[in-house]
Amino acid sequence: MRLKSWEGMLALLFLATLAANAVLAPEFLTLQNQINLFQLSIEKIILALVMTLVILNAEIDLSVSSVLGLSACVFGYLVHEGVAAPWAVVAALMVGPVAGLINAVLIARMGIPSLVVTLAMLIMFRGVARILVKDQSMGDFPLWFTTLGQKGFLGPIPLSLWLFLGFSVGLGVLLHRTGFGRQVVVIGTNAEVARFSGLDVARVKTTLFVMVSSMAALAGVLYAARLGSVRGDAGVGFELDVITMVLLGGVSIFGGKGSMAGVILSILIILNLRNGMALTNITGHIQTGVIGVLLILSVLGPNLWERVRRG
Amino acid sequence: MKKFGIALGLVASLMGSAVMAEAIKATPGGAVNLVLLPKFLGILPFDQADRGAQEAAKELGNTGTYQYIGPTPENSAAGQIEMLTTATTQKQGVVMLSNNAGDQIAAVAEAAQAAGTKVVTWDSPIPSGKGESVFVAQVDFGSIGVVMADMVMSMTGGAGEFAVLSASPDAANQNAWIEAMKKTLAEDAKYKDLKLVDVVYGNDQSEESYNKALGLVDKYPDLKVIMAPTTVGIVAAAKAMQDEKLCDKVKVSGLGLPAEMVSYTMNGCAPEFALWSFVDLGYLTTYTSYMLATGAIKGEVGETFTAGRMGDFTIEADPGREGAKRVLMGPFTVYNKDNVEAASK
Repeated sequence: MRLKSWEGMLALLFLATLAANAVLAPEFLTLQNQINLFQLSIEKIILALVMTLVILNAEIDLSVSSVLGLSACVFGYLVHEGVAAPWAVVAALMVGPVAGLINAVLIARMGIPSLVVTLAMLIMFRGVARILVKDQSMGDFPLWFTTLGQKGFLGPIPLSLWLFLGFSVGLGVLLHRTGFGRQVVVIGTNAEVARFSGLDVARVKTTLFVMVSSMAALAGVLYAARLGSVRGDAGVGFELDVITMVLLGGVSIFGGKGSMAGVILSILIILNLRNGMALTNITGHIQTGVIGVLLILSVLGPNLWERVRRG
Repeated sequence: MKKFGIALGLVASLMGSAVMAEAIKATPGGAVNLVLLPKFLGILPFDQADRGAQEAAKELGNTGTYQYIGPTPENSAAGQIEMLTTATTQKQGVVMLSNNAGDQIAAVAEAAQAAGTKVVTWDSPIPSGKGESVFVAQVDFGSIGVVMADMVMSMTGGAGEFAVLSASPDAANQNAWIEAMKKTLAEDAKYKDLKLVDVVYGNDQSEESYNKALGLVDKYPDLKVIMAPTTVGIVAAAKAMQDEKLCDKVKVSGLGLPAEMVSYTMNGCAPEFALWSFVDLGYLTTYTSYMLATGAIKGEVGETFTAGRMGDFTIEADPGREGAKRVLMGPFTVYNKDNVEAASK
């Protein structure tokens, strides 16, 4: 019931943002702007979808932005070295499961907290990415590759946006309609209880960390395609935006509570709010501040609501 | 063939000077929506460029809008890409960009041009030149190399170790200057006793630059000069040396703002540094942008135009970037005890 109300609040906030944008910024409702709005943050939003499952499971993955950067740099480096782009894509995507398994072994098998492990990996993977491409930009990717990242795929909608739609539905179903999804939430609520009731906690956690890293590697390839050029700093700081989207969506940082619908609403709110502020020429510092306030409210909101309800 | 090329160049420059007499003048009162997009907000040089841009827009009687917007430092590259995309959606006339995203912004800049929003770079260009109408260069990048080398020369007394403290590893302007300096050091025998031991990056953040400067001193006990070709880095390095009482041993030099450097120059921590006027850079960039957008100039090599109080400028091929064009502002001033106090006011 509490969650339903939070999603209701988010839906209202989303509609309010839409209305304000439509009134204040004449360009807001153009098709190109609507596409740009998703395109500009595409890597973050597909990551937020999987991060939802990780946080519901009472874990966190801070290393996603560095896995993204490493994947993008592996791609850029290999193309630069003369490897055919399709093979470079395959190699870049492989970064995901490998990084995910490293995280998973340390977290699920050795029992080190994910906050610590993924913080270390955030630093390490970024280091590897920077070593790989040094201080250069690597670009000159094949035209078909950048076209995929920048132009319409089916109609005017770019490939990455189709992917986002597909993942939204797919991961929503996985979370709310399958046994695996229920296990994720049960373990997130109380891992001890879950273990005693015979759930393979380590296996579920391993699956989640491999999933989120694989998505990060895919995001890295999309990043390279969208910008047509990569550098060692690709995606720096994205992890915080991703986690913000998940938390604003009403997912509890302690795990167990939250829904995919909430996170998708939160993504829509953040993207539209940023876009509206940009179109009305509000500068970067204020944009960041507004998102910060929103996040605090999103954490305070459900708590206050709970207190009011309990009298 | 080479001779032919030189001859062509001569003819071109002669033609250039012939046209110089009838430099194209701006028609005031046009409506051009301008956006000044610095690398990020919150540091003095960009605010000075904003002042110059506003001065020019006012002088030109521009009836269009003028926006000074920018990302936060930690979100610089992604923020610039986002803001350029938004400006294209808004159908802005010209985005004046000090690029901090390297070639990652090229695709978005090309899309902007295709949609009718011009991209004029200043301070830091798009390395490949893709999507860029023209680059308004503060000074010739090669000559910065010579000035940097000469300042190290005079501070070390001609021999010794020095290190570079730069901005971000991806800043096209700083990288080009450091390359130019290395080239100068290698080509002229008079610099043969100067040894560049390291290049480190403080990412134009004060604290990071401060720590990197101290790191250099620890790592290289014989270090004589820290050369910081960034206004943030040079202040941080000078402060670090002053705080640690190292100014007698390690001198700081580079590119700095007189107002921020005056105390360090007077107390000997940074006896010599150089810079150009960012106000003028913003002013010239705005004139160039306005005249491009109103069609007074086409942005082609050889065109000469008048930029208000600053006089005549000619669009030329950028020697540092094949296929790209630039407007060269120049020159720059070397500051020391004799002139820094007057300039800091």
